Amino acid sequence: MTGYERTGVLDNNHIKKPSKERLERGPVVIIECVENIPCNPCVEVCPISAIGMEDINDTPDVNLDGCTGCALCVTECPGLAIFVIDCSEDDGCLVTVPYEYLPVPKKGEVVTALDREGNDMGDAEVIRIRESGMTYAVTLEVEKDKIWDVRGLKVKK
Amino acid sequence: MPAKRISEHPVLEFQRGEKFFFDFEGKKIPAYPGDTIAAALYAQGLQKFTESKLLKRPRGFFCAIGKCSSCIMRVNGVPHVRSCITLAEEGMKVERQSAMPDFPDVALPCTPVNEHKIEIAVIGGGPAGLSAAIVAANNGADVHLFDENANLGGQLVKQTHQFFGRYEEHAGTRGVDIGKALAEEAHEAGVKIHSDSTVLGYYPEMTVTVDSSNSLEIYRCKGIVYATGATENFLAFENNDLPGIYGAGGVQTLMNEYGVTPGDKVLMIGAGNVGLIVSYQLIQAGVEVVEVLEALPKVGGYQVHASKLRRAGVPISTRHSIIKAIGTEKVEGAVVQGLDDDWKPIDGTERTVECDIICIAVGLQPDNHFLRLAGCETKHVPELGGIVPLRNEYLETTVSNLFIAGDSAGIEEATVAILEGKLAGAAITEKIKGPSSELTTIKEKAILGINDMREGPYGKRSKKGVNLCTFEGGCIG
Amino acid sequence: MGCTGPEGEKMTVIVCRCEDITEEDILAAIEDGYCEIEILKRHLRIGMGPCQGKTCISLLERILKRELGTSSDKIGRPTARPPSRQVSFAILAGDDHE
Repeated sequence: MTGYERTGVLDNNHIKKPSKERLERGPVVIIECVENIPCNPCVEVCPISAIGMEDINDTPDVNLDGCTGCALCVTECPGLAIFVIDCSEDDGCLVTVPYEYLPVPKKGEVVTALDREGNDMGDAEVIRIRESGMTYAVTLEVEKDKIWDVRGLKVKK
Repeated sequence: MPAKRISEHPVLEFQRGEKFFFDFEGKKIPAYPGDTIAAALYAQGLQKFTESKLLKRPRGFFCAIGKCSSCIMRVNGVPHVRSCITLAEEGMKVERQSAMPDFPDVALPCTPVNEHKIEIAVIGGGPAGLSAAIVAANNGADVHLFDENANLGGQLVKQTHQFFGRYEEHAGTRGVDIGKALAEEAHEAGVKIHSDSTVLGYYPEMTVTVDSSNSLEIYRCKGIVYATGATENFLAFENNDLPGIYGAGGVQTLMNEYGVTPGDKVLMIGAGNVGLIVSYQLIQAGVEVVEVLEALPKVGGYQVHASKLRRAGVPISTRHSIIKAIGTEKVEGAVVQGLDDDWKPIDGTERTVECDIICIAVGLQPDNHFLRLAGCETKHVPELGGIVPLRNEYLETTVSNLFIAGDSAGIEEATVAILEGKLAGAAITEKIKGPSSELTTIKEKAILGINDMREGPYGKRSKKGVNLCTFEGGCIG
Repeated sequence: MGCTGPEGEKMTVIVCRCEDITEEDILAAIEDGYCEIEILKRHLRIGMGPCQGKTCISLLERILKRELGTSSDKIGRPTARPPSRQVSFAILAGDDHE
């Protein structure tokens, strides 16, 4: 039994990571879906067919070179398990996370970034926010050393 | 503040109509169109719906969908009314009853008994029943659909999350929207819909009796699709009947269908998909989930659901169980304990959890009373949640022309329920109206889809279960 | 097990909500020799309330399995009889009696 089966928390070893060069080239999707769930909306929504899946029970296989990081799959995934990382700018990286709570943060607002266990990862500014079907894709600016940990947010009271 | 009406929600919009009032033991209770009596009372903070029969213990509702009968009240002088599925009306007189109530104060009018000859009766208007009715009606059958609730959609109406599964079977869409779409499709297909209609029994030669808005209707059918879903499992622990201890699905109904939060702090028992999803939806509704307990050594539901909760800071404790609810009139806390590998409580691991609501999400059991009345052969299949009818590949039971679909055939996901509905709907239409290439295509496609859904680590268990209760051969007779 | 707490205090574990049957009642009945689901139903009225056993019978099944080691298939379910849901006499009576 692996740790996440007991805790519900994935660690970075479970995730397909893009190379350093790919990360610096532009936004790219990070899919944190490791079980063989019969589910395929991410494959269907991808406009450039960068997510592959032979059988509906396979885990999504993303072509990291082809992916443009458009984040359409972020709001489409029923498991809220897809994120986008963008390290193409020199000053600070961007992490896009799905969000379905209230209140909805505004662009420019400073929120609390959270890791996979809900721990406070410090402040982060909301750079972009996009809604699709009542799910929001919220893009946060975070320090480079936090891109593999920040996966959620909490609006400050 | 024990319960409140949700004013803002990230996914749902509660458009409440014009407020009206009914009488509850001399108090004026506000309600909105579409509220059940139970929902309106709960929104005003009432948790004790009745007093138990012998021990005189306070009782609340448990299932909120008309199955557990823990919410029965005296309405306009008539006892034993299920307040959780009876809509509140202006000026209604509602009282608590003891479990051995007085006779009705009023003589109910005896209404005519009507007999009808129909082709197909579909019992249950959830994903499976609606899908079966749509296929049958679209292929020329005369289809009547019965559901004991005021609204169609079954448990889809409270599913605010996007569905997993196959894109063409509505994956990525929220359950509540799938329910609406299927109900609309059934209307368009010409299905004769009888809501507020409770099926009372099965009698020989495909005869079904229905309590249809206060008259007894007898339907003599050529075929029946039975798709009434499942009941939530109850759990044995000290004080397990206190008001504040509810089925997770019951809380989901209260919160997502009627827009009423159950309380402030919830302890969730069970980390299967229902426990995980309802926990997430509680947080969406602004309720704190203090902890999720799971007796198994690992999380039973999807990792992605568990991850959502963990990101929100909710702890999940595997190998833990509840041993006691604290409180006398309602839940004031819980005592939980760690379990060893033999499921025995570990001494010294007891601790108190502060909570005012305990949700039980320890599985569902298929509805089978009607099927047993009809004489279907059944089998206990743990992989499918309990006692299920034997069936052939096309979901016909051992009683010719009596088909099953959805959770009452075995507990699985909603996508499977939709596909099973299509399969049963096509197969029964073929038997009654004769074969067509279109029906064959629907059947084949549904079988392929169901088989797909049953691959993978989660579906394999269902597959094993289905194999244990499927008999060889085509349709009977 | 299940009927007294660590200090010997009485515990209430409800199995049948409608008829108020506790785990203690069931264990006592088993002790008295009522070991089949159908017999327990008649003896205790378990499963005979308004919900018709929808909530309690699976718990009863678990207790019987634990106490007697019987298989679920062998335990089965009590005989099903109509009506499946509560219904008023007026509905059943119809209008054929002036």
